[in-house]
Amino acid sequence: MKLLIIIPAYNERENIERVVDNLIQNYPQFSYVVVNDGSKDDTAAICRKRGYNLIDLPVNLGLAGGFQAGMLYAEKHGFDYAIQYDADGQHRAEFIEPMLNECEKGFDIVIGSRFVSKKKPLSMRMLGSRMLSAAIRLTTFRKIKDPTSGMRVYNRRMIRLFAHHTNLSPEPDSVAYMIKSGAKVSEVQVEMDERIAGVSYLNIPRSMFYMLRMVISILFIQVFRSPVRLKDIRPEEKG
Amino acid sequence: MSDTLRIVLIVASVLCLLYMLRKISQSKVRIDDAIFWIVGSFVLVIISIFPQIPSWCCDLLGIQTPVNFLFLFMIFILLVKLFYMTIRVSQLESKVKELSQRYALDHMDEKEEETDET
Repeated sequence: MKLLIIIPAYNERENIERVVDNLIQNYPQFSYVVVNDGSKDDTAAICRKRGYNLIDLPVNLGLAGGFQAGMLYAEKHGFDYAIQYDADGQHRAEFIEPMLNECEKGFDIVIGSRFVSKKKPLSMRMLGSRMLSAAIRLTTFRKIKDPTSGMRVYNRRMIRLFAHHTNLSPEPDSVAYMIKSGAKVSEVQVEMDERIAGVSYLNIPRSMFYMLRMVISILFIQVFRSPVRLKDIRPEEKG
Repeated sequence: MSDTLRIVLIVASVLCLLYMLRKISQSKVRIDDAIFWIVGSFVLVIISIFPQIPSWCCDLLGIQTPVNFLFLFMIFILLVKLFYMTIRVSQLESKVKELSQRYALDHMDEKEEETDET
């Protein structure tokens, strides 16, 4: 059982040390890799100074490209599981273990969900989440309670798939596509913190465009895509 | 709008849609880039099924025939798209430039290290 924590970081100089130091000190049983996505600030310099395990992308590729670099690393080094973990401190490390335990039961993707046993608040922020849940339910007949959660554990065949596929990004539409392809997806209750420092990438117009993109992708594109034949994926032998 | 134009529009937009979906399933187009074309062909299908929409726009803008409105509308959309593509190409070029410079400089260091050792 080997888990890689993939930490995509873009301009996270204020958060990266706190987040990674917490993982190193309190969770030494897990491996991690920071993917610096061409940050304009000194995120990479901080990581190098502190001796972190770092993939330093020379240009900005966006979250999908950065995460994929982490998945390629996971595949190359023969990890069994990989988790996406935010560099801004929103994800809490104590929930990695229960998510991993769930994934070991034979699930392909385990989502760290805020709303398994808790109710989704009726706010504007959660309207988008509700729309995505409805779209996924409509196309896959599965209820995903927290589709926008970025905290997801992937197993070995998912690592192999996500590392090489052009159109698989760590987003809700890929989760829908994977469900449609027959992947087993589960949700585990987690709590998330508000971002402590720095600014969020998502402002109101950006998040509206993001929701529109996701809904169109789930309703009109993923439905027509031919499913991935998961049974054909053979993880390469180590070494 | 004439019936022939309507039929041509419907057939063309449906074909466009099917072609795009096929290319996406072959992983040749990124979904982000395909969304423009899919939304575009949906709009075309809607316009060809309900020609009242362009007619209504014509009355509103004082344009004589719906076909003229369609030309204006399409050319405008394509201009915006072209401008957007120009930005994308520029960004891509500077990224490729940055990458090759970085690659070349990194390899220079490696060679220096090799010569140091010998």
